[in-house]
Amino acid sequence: MALLELDGLTRRFGGIVAVDGVTMRVAAGEVRAVIGPNGAGKSTLFNLITGVTTPTSGTVRFDEHALTGLSAYSVCQRGVSRTFQITALFPEMTARENVRLSAQARHARRWLPLGGRNVFADAETRADAALERLGLIHVAHRPAGLLSHGDQRLLEVAMALAQRPRLLLLDEPTQGLSVEETEQAVETLSALLADGSMTVLLVEHDMEVVFRLAHMITVLHRGAVIADGAPDEVRANEDVQRAYLGGLA
Amino acid sequence: MRILAVVVCVLALAPAGLPPYAMTLLTEALILGLFAMSLDLMVGYTRLLSFGHAAAYGLGAYAAGNLLLHTSIPLVFTILLAALCSGVVAIGVAWVCTLASGVSFSMLTLAFAQLLYAVAFKWTAVTGASDGLAGIPRSPGPFGITFFEGRAGFYYLVLACLVAAFIFCRSLVRSPFGAVLRGIRENEAKTLSLGYNTRRYKIAVVAISFTLGGLAGALYAPFAGFTNTELLFWLFSGQVLIMVIVGGTGTLIGPIIGAAFFMLVSNLLSSWTDSWALFFGAIFILFVLFAPQGIWGLATRWRSLSSTG
Repeated sequence: MALLELDGLTRRFGGIVAVDGVTMRVAAGEVRAVIGPNGAGKSTLFNLITGVTTPTSGTVRFDEHALTGLSAYSVCQRGVSRTFQITALFPEMTARENVRLSAQARHARRWLPLGGRNVFADAETRADAALERLGLIHVAHRPAGLLSHGDQRLLEVAMALAQRPRLLLLDEPTQGLSVEETEQAVETLSALLADGSMTVLLVEHDMEVVFRLAHMITVLHRGAVIADGAPDEVRANEDVQRAYLGGLA
Repeated sequence: MRILAVVVCVLALAPAGLPPYAMTLLTEALILGLFAMSLDLMVGYTRLLSFGHAAAYGLGAYAAGNLLLHTSIPLVFTILLAALCSGVVAIGVAWVCTLASGVSFSMLTLAFAQLLYAVAFKWTAVTGASDGLAGIPRSPGPFGITFFEGRAGFYYLVLACLVAAFIFCRSLVRSPFGAVLRGIRENEAKTLSLGYNTRRYKIAVVAISFTLGGLAGALYAPFAGFTNTELLFWLFSGQVLIMVIVGGTGTLIGPIIGAAFFMLVSNLLSSWTDSWALFFGAIFILFVLFAPQGIWGLATRWRSLSSTG
């Protein structure tokens, strides 16, 4: 049984069909990349899964429960954590406080209005573990807004990781990074995913990154799935080549 | 914490040394300080800009006024009941206002406060319309205690409320709940995506803010002995916002200083000119332009500069 099941997922914005009847399965432990040219509907797909956008039709099921119609915070509380294409952080908080606030969201007493030293201590333990795994522990005390763009991208991943999600959604984790920064980020991420304990859905522009990280690839074109399979199959697929090279008429 | 203890001790000694007129001013300054601090929870810690905080004050004042006039509930319990009353109303108000965010949120708070203002003018039986409520007593009790009825006793009651509210607010902003508020302040969309029901947190902070603002209003009614519709007017909402900003947002202590500063300056200026508001407006503009961190922000920066050499 797949962990994440999308069936006929469709979203229209006025006359434009951003996501067009997408059916997709993500098995537990799988790292799947969603690729496609600009405007293929990748980010909208993420927003539909995470409850930011409501689908026009179709369903999202996670661990055999419907996610469709749930708000963004409830989707997250069910174990789906995400990062954003455009870095979303708390710039005035330190890197550690950013991750701590993220970890706190998984604590039963996250809302405690007085005291809460234990809540903070638990969250901070998890935060430091996540910062360690992403090689950010040496900048933990710096305000997030002052980190390099590369570290900011990884900090967002650390925040998602600290929630120990059952499904991790990464929206272009190397977006806007230099060649060196991308190289470093890919190394950190592949080390993170190496033990196969995490289920990841990844949107990525950089083909190099996709082929190094993903076990499975789904190709979107104009909102619809045109190919789905292992990296080698997808690379050889004629439709995919045409979509990327000359546009699919 | 040590500085706080010293300040409280000095304030506690005030009745021994100050003339009655100054005691009255000081009492009012502390009430306004409590009111401004309550608004800081929204404006400074959650970036929820309220243009209608007079609603909290007015609700507390009218609730306390009615309870004191028509029941024999002791003063101490009355102010707590009136504060709660303001907080409960705030839950409904915040539920509506948080449907919007940003400027629309601010406009809805203003609209709600003006609605109450209009109601206060028409609902004569409860509010006394344009005459307001007069002759509000300081009811004795419990156990026949009459200490809070006198000038000094009432001052101590106000001081105790302010100190308790300050300690409560400080714990609140340092708690896990406070961390979430800070998240909402810096990036609400991200806070939501981390799994926090941000709207519920916003409603909660508005309710807490209104409860404490209502407590200030509830103290004002027996302090002045009367209430009038000006307590609900938008001008007062604007003034308390100025107190918060001039004192220093997001510091709790700053708005208390800002309120005292406002009292002091407006008293000095108004004895000298009728258009004192014009001059205070200029002071406000200077603060926004050159010291947006406010009086307390300046003070702490000066302290850290002098300690580092």
